[in-house]
Amino acid sequence: MPAAEPLTSAPLVQVTRALRRRQVSPVELVDAYQRRIGEARSLRAYITLPDERARREAQQAERRLSRGEAGALLGVPIAVKDLFATRAIRTTAGSRILQDWVPSSDAAAVARLRAAGAIVFGKTNLHEFAYGVTTANPWWGVARNPHDPGRSPGGSSGGSAIAVVAGLCAGALGSDTGGSIRIPASLCGCVGLKPTFGAVPLDGTVPLGWSLDHAGPLTRTVEDAGVLLDVLSGRQAGQRARRTSIQGLRVGVLRGPIVRNVQARVSRQVDAAASALRRRGLRVREVRIPDMEWTVATQLVTLRAEASAVHARWIRTRPRAYGADVRIRLQLGALVAGTDYVLAQRMRARIRAAIARAFHHVDVLLLPTTPITAPVVGDRTMRWRSGEEPVDGALVRLTAPFNLTGLPALSVPFGVAAGLPVGVQVVAQWDDEARVLAVGRLIEELAAEQRPGVA
Amino acid sequence: MPVTERERLAAAGRAAGLRLGAGDVAALLPAWKRYLALVEELRAAVAPEDPDAGG
Repeated sequence: MPAAEPLTSAPLVQVTRALRRRQVSPVELVDAYQRRIGEARSLRAYITLPDERARREAQQAERRLSRGEAGALLGVPIAVKDLFATRAIRTTAGSRILQDWVPSSDAAAVARLRAAGAIVFGKTNLHEFAYGVTTANPWWGVARNPHDPGRSPGGSSGGSAIAVVAGLCAGALGSDTGGSIRIPASLCGCVGLKPTFGAVPLDGTVPLGWSLDHAGPLTRTVEDAGVLLDVLSGRQAGQRARRTSIQGLRVGVLRGPIVRNVQARVSRQVDAAASALRRRGLRVREVRIPDMEWTVATQLVTLRAEASAVHARWIRTRPRAYGADVRIRLQLGALVAGTDYVLAQRMRARIRAAIARAFHHVDVLLLPTTPITAPVVGDRTMRWRSGEEPVDGALVRLTAPFNLTGLPALSVPFGVAAGLPVGVQVVAQWDDEARVLAVGRLIEELAAEQRPGVA
Repeated sequence: MPVTERERLAAAGRAAGLRLGAGDVAALLPAWKRYLALVEELRAAVAPEDPDAGG
């Protein structure tokens, strides 16, 4: 009978199996995660720690398990980004403005987790209102990368990624408007899945950009991401992925201006992943997609306008209640002209069409999740041979295209560079999460083979 | 009439209903300039359609 302690860093499916076989009880598990949380407080993963309520839910789950009840996540502690409303649990959105908000009902995604038997295991730290990619939160603490506390975990779902990587929960819920699931997954070294736009309901989630917002899981393995996706979406893509054949699949490795500025150590890992896929019988080729280099400008205009529409009242009446970086973004957004927004939507349509054309020739796209490994906390500028780029712009450059297009995109860890994790991104066509997950599982397997000392 | 970029930004902020003090304008100005440059590039990339071609 395994002790609960080793399970804190085990994949979610292994935790679920141990619970079903009664090898560990949900209460033992919750207590073990709580001990880990106590040791990792300096990482600032949580805004609201799991409390007695989580333990009571674990006791209830224990009774249900002893009665032989089923549930895909029965007794499994899942951390929830503090952007999702949770009934009777404070929901701050990482802000001061909502610091005392205690919702009367759960967000739809949280309700689905609970219906599957999950224990809502604390509310994780995020960039204020999810409007940024560093999780340097002025109100709830600067989140730290578990691999190097001097470095950023990325964001905005930084706390969720930390909680997964540091063994503080079995899996986590995040949101992604420009890369906010995949960026922290890449920088912290876990799996992050942004499903197709609309696949996971957003009711009860504090919005950031209505046409860009997505919800999805952060997990230790690709299989875990599939399990959570199936619960969150009510579809069976995770199950289908297990049966999806990828032999002979056409993989397009993205080339062109959008990936010109990528750290060499990151490119090497992506190329290694592509070579490994080729050796496994996939048909790997390079693809260039026009207009993708306009992603950051298109995303920026779209998001500035949409976020400032969400915050229209507060940014005018309570500007000092925002942290400096978010305040500036929201004030700037209030100045976006309607004609600028239209311009961005025209470019967005061009990017969408160009990517759709690329999928006539390939089945999945492969590219880095982020062009850089985790930056030092406080670093604001990347210096490339061709010039400078804001760190937050660099971090979203390769993820935002799939918020603009709504296509499913998965970040999978593939090795380390200079001691820091590297994430590779797999993208497929609309609603084809099964293929993304199937390729992701193979990449995960290849990454394990690549690790020194692993047979 | 606003003549400097700072004054133009302050005027735009007022028109949008924002409460911008001098410090706010100074903090916003670099981001505003970058934004305008970016939109200009976007505008050039999305070539305008010929206004005479419309029906």
